[in-house]
Amino acid sequence: MSTSPLPGDASSDPTGDATGRFLVQPNGRVRPLSPHLQVWRWHVTMAASILNRMTGGALSVGAVVVFAWLLALAFGPEAYATFTGWMSTPLGLFVWFGLTLALCLHLAGGVRHLIWDAGRGLSTKSADALSWASMIGGVVMAVAFWAVLFASGRIVL
Amino acid sequence: MSRATKTYIKGVKVSERHGAGEWTAERLSSLILVPLTLWGLWTGFTLSGAGYDAALDWFRAPVNAVLLAVTLLVSVWHMQMGLKVIVDDYIHKPGSRGALLGLIGLFCLVIAAAGVFFIVRLALGSAPLPAGFGI
Repeated sequence: MSTSPLPGDASSDPTGDATGRFLVQPNGRVRPLSPHLQVWRWHVTMAASILNRMTGGALSVGAVVVFAWLLALAFGPEAYATFTGWMSTPLGLFVWFGLTLALCLHLAGGVRHLIWDAGRGLSTKSADALSWASMIGGVVMAVAFWAVLFASGRIVL
Repeated sequence: MSRATKTYIKGVKVSERHGAGEWTAERLSSLILVPLTLWGLWTGFTLSGAGYDAALDWFRAPVNAVLLAVTLLVSVWHMQMGLKVIVDDYIHKPGSRGALLGLIGLFCLVIAAAGVFFIVRLALGSAPLPAGFGI
């Protein structure tokens, strides 16, 4: 166990390393892999970044659900009634709520990214603030959306 | 796109290959999707619980059908790039990576093509499917 080399320690021979922290590149050179999730101390910028990737992945499933809505609509009133019948069950509404949440979080996370990509808000303090703002803002948006949806009587549980 | 001579912009070397193309495409699609997502949320709000006829009426307005088609295509483009980055990051075996990227491409192509087909039919007020397809 103690024979595995320290990350970045070029003096030790990493070829015998069994921890999976090194990778043999196609040109034969041994290079350390960057430490993975379980090694880093959690930080808000990291959480916001991971959340953006997770919500993006979830939205790929969301694309299928929205596609199913289009399909049901194109197949006429009976197909549409079947689809909305499923979607108005508690489970169906929960799926839509999850997709709304993922969409709002990904939207807010995307705006945060665009701000950073424009070279703004990159000091530690403002990067942290933007990460918090995008995560809290996304949740607030999704909850407000559904609160108004229920309050207006468009959706009933 | 390889250049014979190296070019520099403000002292930074310009890539000889595709360079920042993917980065730019991701940002461009994000930028387009910000207003479209807000519009999509608004649409979802107005059509929630509104029923079949209200949804059909919504599609009869050309601006709605066109905006929805644009939203679908840009979203699929953005989704393809996002899923590709995830696969590139975590799948290191060339065979598995190629197969997964192929599947993702196929998935995106089907969603985009069939989605636009449905939108066009709904916008034109065509009879419900499978009308005319003999099923």
